[in-house]
Formats: sequence, C-alpha cells, structure tokens
Amino acid sequence: MPLTPMDIYKLLPKTNCKKCGEQTCMSFAFKLLNREKKLEDCKPLFEEKKYEVQLKKLQEILKPLEKATETGLIVRSELCNGCGNCIVACPVHVERDPQGAGIGKGPRIKDPIYRIENGKLVIVNMHLCRRYGKNRILCVVCRENCPTDAISFLEG
Amino acid sequence: MICTGCSCLCEDIEILDSKVLNACEKGYKHISGFREPRTRNRVYGKEVDVDKAIESAIEILKSAKSAVIYGLDTTTLEAQRIAVKIAEKLQSYIDDNSSFCLGEFVEAILKKRIPSATLDEVRDYAYVLIYWGTNPYHSLPRHLSKFSYYPRGAKRNRGYDEDRYLVVIDVRRSEIAKLAKKNAKFIKVENDLELIESFEKALEGKAWKYDVAEIVREMKKADFNALFGGLGLKYGLNGNYKRFFDFVNGMNNFAPLYFIPSGFHANMRGFNETLFEEVGEVNKFSFRERRSDSQFSFSELVKNEKVDTALIVGTDPIASLPFDVSKKLLKVRKIVIDPKDTLTAKNAEVTIASAFSGIESGGEMIRSDGVRIKLEPIEKAEIDDVYILKRILEGL
Repeated sequence: MPLTPMDIYKLLPKTNCKKCGEQTCMSFAFKLLNREKKLEDCKPLFEEKKYEVQLKKLQEILKPLEKATETGLIVRSELCNGCGNCIVACPVHVERDPQGAGIGKGPRIKDPIYRIENGKLVIVNMHLCRRYGKNRILCVVCRENCPTDAISFLEG
Repeated sequence: MICTGCSCLCEDIEILDSKVLNACEKGYKHISGFREPRTRNRVYGKEVDVDKAIESAIEILKSAKSAVIYGLDTTTLEAQRIAVKIAEKLQSYIDDNSSFCLGEFVEAILKKRIPSATLDEVRDYAYVLIYWGTNPYHSLPRHLSKFSYYPRGAKRNRGYDEDRYLVVIDVRRSEIAKLAKKNAKFIKVENDLELIESFEKALEGKAWKYDVAEIVREMKKADFNALFGGLGLKYGLNGNYKRFFDFVNGMNNFAPLYFIPSGFHANMRGFNETLFEEVGEVNKFSFRERRSDSQFSFSELVKNEKVDTALIVGTDPIASLPFDVSKKLLKVRKIVIDPKDTLTAKNAEVTIASAFSGIESGGEMIRSDGVRIKLEPIEKAEIDDVYILKRILEGL
C-alpha cells in the first residue's frame, strides 16, 4: 500500500500549532511526504510525552522515504528477477538509446537510468528520469511493466 | 559473452569490474553462483585421473548389452554430434529432455508441418503475441523485453501499447498475465481443445465457450503474428498435436501466424536439429531399429528395464525425473559427464568432470527459434564435453 498524506496526518498532533512554519498539520504532512520538511520540524511530537506512540509509528512508516531516490522511486531488489521490462519500456531509454535498450538489448549509453547488475535492477543515473527536476511529469511506465511489483513510487 | 542459462541465449551479457551486466537473475546465477560443488573424476566412488575415468567408461560401454545416451541439452552442437556417432557405433538408444519437453513442436517445425519464424523477425514485425501455456517470467525471463512485447522493431516502432497486442493463455494468473493491461487479453483456460474450437468458431463469426473474437479481429489486421507455446500447451493438448497443427495452419488462411516453442534448456533445439540432420528424427531414437518411438524415451526405457547402461551428459535425471524412474535408474550402470556434482553424478559408476558450455568451453548452440549462436566463453577449460566424448568414441 502506498503512503498517503492522510496516513501521516492521522498520526500528527493535529493542533495546527504552526511551530513547523506551516499553517496546518495537513500541509506539513504533504511536505513531509515530498521530503521538503523533516519529521524533526514538528516540535510538539518530540517534546510532549503523550505523542510518544504516534512518533514511533510515524518513524516506522516514514522509513521507506529514506530509501527512495529524489524521484520518489523505490526498488525492492529482493522481488526483482532482472527481466529488464522496465529498462526496455522506459521512454527515455528508447529516445537516447534506440539501438540498445530501444530494441531490447542491454543499455549501450554511458549513464542509463537503470541497469541490470548481477541479476538485479540498480539505479545508475536518476537525473535522466522524466520524474526528475523542475519540469517533471509523473511517469510510471517502469512500475506498470514490472511483473513482480519490485518498482514502486512514493505516491503509489 | 553468451548466457547459456536458458534457450534465449542472450548475447549482450557483459562482465565489468566483476559485475555481470544485463543478465537476468537466472542467467547471473548460472554464470556465477551455480557452479559449485564441482564434480571429480570417479570410478566406483574412488577418485582417479581423467584418463582412467574415460577408460573405465569405455570398458563399461563396450560390455553393455543395451545402452542409452541421455541428456546433451546443455552442451554444444559439436558434443551432440559426437554423442550421436557414439550411439550409432554402440547401436544404442539416444534421447534428451525434449521427449517430455517440447520435442513434438520442434519436430513439427523441422518437418515443416507448421510455419515458424525467428525471434528477430518477431521483434521487427509481430503484432499479436500469444503466450500459450508458458510463463516466461520463470522459464525465459528476458523473452518479453528482448524479443517480443517491449522492444521496438523495424516495422513496429511505436512501442508496446500501440504496436503490440499481448495475449496470455494460462490456467492461472501468472506474472506475465499481470502485464496484459492495455491492448492485451488474458484468457484463463480450462480446456485447450475447447479454446482451439473457440478460435475456429470465431473465424466463422460464431461465439463459443471462450471470448476470442477480439483477438481474431486484431490478428486479421496484421501481417505477422506469433504464437509461443510452452509445456502447458503440450500437456493441455493431451496428445492431440494434429488438432493444434491444423488450427495453426487454418489460422494462416486468415492471418499469418507463426509458431515458436518457448521454454526449455539452452540447446535442446540444437539436439533435436542435430539428430534430425543425421537420422531424420528429433529424439527417442533407437539405432538398432532405426526408428523413433515413444517406447524409446529415456524414462520409458528405464521404467521398463530395457537398458543396462546409461551415458548421461549434463543432466540430473535422478533428481529431476519421477521417483519410479529414478529408483530404477539406480540399478542401471551410469556414466555421467557433468561439471557439477549432481545427485546422479554422486550415484554413478563412472563420473567424468567436464566444463560448463558457454562459460568454460566454446562451441555453437541453437536458440529456441532455430538461430545458431556461437558461444564466447570467458574461461578456457582443457577438458570439456567434446574432448571427453571424442576420446570415448575413439576408444570404442
């Protein structure tokens, strides 16, 4: 199940104390998920004892965020069998490497987004991804074509 | 290098800084992880040198009343040719795994009963891709990404969601069935023969048990469609191969449909073609009677106690065949040529340590679609299958 801002909001103090600099706890939850804010910015959560249980739960559900790349990508390599569907389907690979990944072979360009190393998918160069940078689009082609759901994104 | 992990024989594998690039998990394990434990040259459990082991093997083969040569699916064409010569010399039986794998389909292709194409043609031209009774996620992991659904081909360059139509036919929702989303169809099949009937009725414009009208409509649009058949199809047909071949040929009157068997050992098709070139049959052949018969398949021969000696090359029948076969195989004298210390090698009278084809020794293999591929080994072993079999042939 992907993590939603609502899941985070439910565990926050919900007092809208504005100590984090945000107007509401809900907007803090959004920024937390986008990794623009850190959990430590919510002062009451750490200072007041009554939030102890909530804090522990929050730290647990936010753990996958640390593993995710800047584009929100999470690769669970224990599920990957190296079929390479994601590499060949990726529109960026097709455009930049038409004679390699575009026709099903291993990528021939120097820094592809993905590569299969030792039978598992590894992220080589996230900067090429369409999800990266200011004008990003929420492309999910690699996730859609993974037969084992080894690829996931933070937003689901 | 060429990966010999499955019959895809991927040629784009690279080794960089001790990392294996581009190979799937199956190929990576084949190249790096599955090579241990190595076998030793043994005669009746005693470790000997290779010359002594080969001599003992020749003695046993010479004294055999009825011998069988079995396996050979993971070795090279060169070794297979010598093995066929040994079988001819001994007037013995010869068989490989294709007798219970996809041998019937390869035979039909070689005897030109059904049209077939190469996987490169599939990549360039195919529109409808039917996976029938096969799950390449396990058997040929890179099949979809390298040859069929995902790559952009010469005439199919708009990507999988526009220029391909994927059909998955299986008894369960397999991993690749999950990929059948847009422009695709998954059929959960209970009876393969009824599905064939449904296709034939759909051609006449009638509805039948399975809803295949859309697939037929899509097939008629294109000038190249491919059908990949696996073991699920073979056993689903229940021996009615002719019914299936008639269906494929009948389909070709309306829309071109090419059949490619998918999912077997690296060089199983190579063995079928080698034997076909020599004797005109693909497997389960008896040189004494010069004919092929289902009674001459390895498991039948062992079960019916028709053989007293078996020369087993690169396979592990005691571990992989049913218990009633492997139990009887223990009574047969076994000469095993294998690089790995398998259960059969441990129980054999003579074991000869060999090399991994494609990794430690070169040669040629045939891909599942019939394309010959020259292996590029990364190491060079002195003693390989060709060397051992050649010496056995000379000794005989």
